[in-house]
Amino acid sequence: MSTTPNGFTLDNSGRRLVVDPVTRIEGHLRCEVNVDENGVIRNAVSSGTMWRGLEVILKGRDPRDAWAFTQRICGVCTGTHALTSVRAVENALGITIPKNANIIRNLMQLTLYAHDHLVHFYHLHALDWVDVVSALSADPRKTSELAQSISKWPKSSPGYFADLQARVKKFVESGQLGPFKNGYWGSPAYKLPPEANLMAVAHYLEALDFQKEIVKIHAVFGGKNPHPNWLVGGMACAINLDGDGANGAVNIERLALVGSIIDRTIEFIDQVYVPDLQAIASFYKDWTYGGGISSQNLLSYGDVPGVANDYSASSLLLPRGAIVGGDLSTIHEVDLTDMEQIKEHVTHSWYKYPNGEDGLHPWAGVTEPHFELGPKTVGDKKRIEALDEEGKYSYIKAPRWRGHAMEVGPLARYVIGYAQGNPEFKEPTDKLLRDLGLPLEALFTTLGRTAARGLEASWAAHKMRWCYDELIANLKAGDSATANPAKWEPETWPKECRGVGFTEAPRGALGHWIVVKDGKIDNYQAVVPTTWNASPRDAAGNIGAYEAALLNTPMADPEQPLEILRTLHSFDPCLACSTHVMAPDGGELTQIRIR
Amino acid sequence: MKKKVTTFYDVMEARGISRRDFMKFCTTTAASMGLASSMVPQVVHAMENKPRIPILWIHGLECTCCSESFIRSAHPLASDVVLSMISLDYDDTLMAAAGHQAEAILDEIREEYKGNYIVAVEGNPPLNNDGMFCIVGGRSFLDQLIEVSKDALAVVAWGSCASNGCVQAAAPNPTQATPIKKVITDKPIINVPGCPPISEVMTGVLTYILTFGKLPELDRQGRPKMFYSQRIHDKCYRRPHFDAGQFVEKWDDEGARKGWCLYKMGCKGPTTYNACSSIGFNEGTSFPIKSGHGCIGCSEENFWDNGPFYERLTHVEGFGIESNADTIGMGVAAGTAAAIGVHAVASAGKQLTKKDAENT
Amino acid sequence: MSNEHEEKVLSIYVYEAPLRLWHWINALAITVLAVTGYLIGSPPEAMIGEASEHYRMGIIRFLHFGAGYVLLFGFIGRIYWAFAGNEHARELFVPKMYSILWWKELLTELKWYLFLTKEPHKYVGHNPLAQFAMFFIFLVGMVFMICTGFALYSEGAGAGTWSAVAFGWVRDIFPNSQTLHTWHHLGMWYLLTFVMAHVYVAIREDIMSRQSIVSTMISGHRLFKDDRP
Repeated sequence: MSTTPNGFTLDNSGRRLVVDPVTRIEGHLRCEVNVDENGVIRNAVSSGTMWRGLEVILKGRDPRDAWAFTQRICGVCTGTHALTSVRAVENALGITIPKNANIIRNLMQLTLYAHDHLVHFYHLHALDWVDVVSALSADPRKTSELAQSISKWPKSSPGYFADLQARVKKFVESGQLGPFKNGYWGSPAYKLPPEANLMAVAHYLEALDFQKEIVKIHAVFGGKNPHPNWLVGGMACAINLDGDGANGAVNIERLALVGSIIDRTIEFIDQVYVPDLQAIASFYKDWTYGGGISSQNLLSYGDVPGVANDYSASSLLLPRGAIVGGDLSTIHEVDLTDMEQIKEHVTHSWYKYPNGEDGLHPWAGVTEPHFELGPKTVGDKKRIEALDEEGKYSYIKAPRWRGHAMEVGPLARYVIGYAQGNPEFKEPTDKLLRDLGLPLEALFTTLGRTAARGLEASWAAHKMRWCYDELIANLKAGDSATANPAKWEPETWPKECRGVGFTEAPRGALGHWIVVKDGKIDNYQAVVPTTWNASPRDAAGNIGAYEAALLNTPMADPEQPLEILRTLHSFDPCLACSTHVMAPDGGELTQIRIR
Repeated sequence: MKKKVTTFYDVMEARGISRRDFMKFCTTTAASMGLASSMVPQVVHAMENKPRIPILWIHGLECTCCSESFIRSAHPLASDVVLSMISLDYDDTLMAAAGHQAEAILDEIREEYKGNYIVAVEGNPPLNNDGMFCIVGGRSFLDQLIEVSKDALAVVAWGSCASNGCVQAAAPNPTQATPIKKVITDKPIINVPGCPPISEVMTGVLTYILTFGKLPELDRQGRPKMFYSQRIHDKCYRRPHFDAGQFVEKWDDEGARKGWCLYKMGCKGPTTYNACSSIGFNEGTSFPIKSGHGCIGCSEENFWDNGPFYERLTHVEGFGIESNADTIGMGVAAGTAAAIGVHAVASAGKQLTKKDAENT
Repeated sequence: MSNEHEEKVLSIYVYEAPLRLWHWINALAITVLAVTGYLIGSPPEAMIGEASEHYRMGIIRFLHFGAGYVLLFGFIGRIYWAFAGNEHARELFVPKMYSILWWKELLTELKWYLFLTKEPHKYVGHNPLAQFAMFFIFLVGMVFMICTGFALYSEGAGAGTWSAVAFGWVRDIFPNSQTLHTWHHLGMWYLLTFVMAHVYVAIREDIMSRQSIVSTMISGHRLFKDDRP
């Protein structure tokens, strides 16, 4: 039994459970816990199990191309890495972008929020709360009543739910359960009545059909989704309202398409997503686990600049700052260029620092993969049965802000916004808590994280409308510029420069650090949301957000990792993002070639 | 015990879809695959009689953009594909089960549907570090891939990662990420490249297999001919501007606003085999060129190393910064010219001495 | 200067008419291919006005393809002539690398170019060094450009066309079409470098060696400036 510096008691004497793969996430995550005789989690280990070396690959390339490479870090939060990258390059080279480009970028980023949060809730997270098989015993009439009592969404007739139930029944009876095969159906951890389950299953399918509409906004401005196109210096989608050849550019038809998608997105999120979230939450009110470090340390870089080229806190619509030790009255300033604030540690990560440094700021960062298992590992290097968390155990580094493990994501943004007294974040939060009859502390739970995400999806959808109106107003004012090609050519760049770009990805704070030398990338570093949240222990023994959140959760049946999935999913893990950090000297990596 | 087999039509019928609508659906599906209307009865027959084929969708080093693209499919709808056409028994991104409950499915399907299931691979295995740069269930993804593919009917390599290696295999490929075709050599492999592939191309490949009961015809690179036999350039709506010599010269210039050809902005459409300019992305909403940005060639092998993306001519490694075929060629030509000059002067000198000698 | 020297000139008919015709047509084709090829890689400034009014890239590409066909059929004709023509018509294709003497002569010729010998030997056809360059730079370069060029041409012509059937396999050697373009482009500079050296050496030899060079490709006759061995 031991206590970590950040105040968590760990006890690895109980039975060890391994969940690998953790499914319904992006990438590869492994989770191990120890449960005591009552089935309560007393020790947790989170391990990222993939490494791609993306930024090693970036070295020596044209900085204008970097967005395309970094965008491929993740296809789920597609676009946010690209946006962070073009911001980093623009910051380094001193490039400003036109107002329209800023608005379009914001619109695309908010589109990602709306889409990503929606898909996460229904397709990655819902099955932790919703029992698909139980839906078969629901009464369609009562389901209809339930649905109509919480929302005016039109698809809510008894007939609709009866048809759907028949479809699901047929599907289940076929014996081919597809993605629902071997699920934890019937587990006592599921609390929803059959009617709520049936409604949620209906919306699972509706959301699957609808999500593809939202991202058409990316297609309009970026040509496709996933992985739309971006541009250093603005956006490539030229605007031509009524000149010659306007049918080859963003014109009124394209704008009308975007407008209509925004309307439907607002409608779906406000009439389906948020009511469902509230309904499901009302049945899980007493499941108050999974808070972890959320009640202590939260971090947000802020995003969605209201003023083009102004990335200061006052311009950002999403709040910026850090909360430490649960003190909501003090919001600390966050400076990504301060070499003392953000540091990454590798004591328990499968990397090594050349001079054995403890932590390094991204601009000085080093990543040399070093796959080595602790002495207490069960199994061997080719077949790991159980990890030894006293040794190295993850491809994720341990980033720390002024030495603290931090949680990032929608909850962090909402709590910081709430603490700042920003009504855009405070009022919806208060209303939700009031409706559910819960205190503020209820936010610092698994469900709180999930709720913040839902509120944020609604916020983003409405902000999309705001951006759209802003775009139209600016076009009316006669400004149709989308790109600033003044510093496009490498001859116009400084010989050596460095920059930082940041966004708030749907999952949390995302930063890219770049060094440009002689027109080429000399160093590229990304510290991503899941690196913060899924972080392993650091040298001092501080555990990360995932690990902390899993502690003290009772499991209904330790054979079925439902509670573990529930809490991990509430962070919306994105592992491809978190495990691709770089070596500034890419050459060294060839030494690790084994075969 | 023989399980009751649910066919595609059964499921549609259960959803309250009329026979007429079902026929309409078959016609649209046939049309979306470019089939003549005479083929519609075959589509109908397939939908009525085929059981849902199990798909094991496994993930290596990747970014999940293929899965995301897959669920964007509009015809057929991704929900219909998953619920009615295939049996997506394993897919880490969507499946309810996790850990050993998930792993158990792989063994079960391999056993029960030996030779009758399809392995869909998103991403690729790294070979460095004994494959342990990508670990699934405590073992390397490489092991999982080989094991799961052993009894498969065929392997579908989704996206550029699985087909060609994609971004993690770009130089210097630190993890030695390797395309599926180089690891699995004894199974039919359908490569569906693109980063990501077009949604309807992905579902179209599956619908084709399901409908005609055979694998689609492949080109020499193992890509379905129906989607990858022509370049984006060949069907690009901006092609007339290319032929006319009308190019975007600078971002947001007059040409950009008039929708001129992006060739000089580095568009790789002329060297990229894909269906973007005909099918389009996101239900035909757009494709990169239509939204003013050149094609980066994401469905081509090695496309990451054919940059930069914004120049027509590829930079050639090993010749210093920003060397392309022209700069190298001009350099060599200049060198040759200089050598000729020097040699010519020396020759003239020699000739004169010789003549002098002859004259004296 | 040399009135008192009576130059004894010997003449041999070396290059027959079809071969000479081919040489000059080929030179013209390469010129057109190089200029249009360069412009395909780096097109001139944009045309303004309606697209339907212009066909500039179309014409540039047409000229490139047309000249490509001329080059190809010229080359086929040249191969035919290697069988039908005199022994000098075969030199290009079969340098006598099996002969020790050939290598010795190559060395002698190399010395001549490095100003190490006073006087070169006389040759009726190409000297071994020239043969070496003709074979390894020109002939290999030509074959490479024809194969890669028509492989690229087949991309537009489409599956099933003769170029795809004959040269489609070349596309499989390269990872992708862009790389094939790059190599084809580099090939142009390779051949242009050859052309530069070729023209220089021909003129230099005309002046300094003991036989005519440039005029031989016009008249077909090799003239020797002396009758020493």
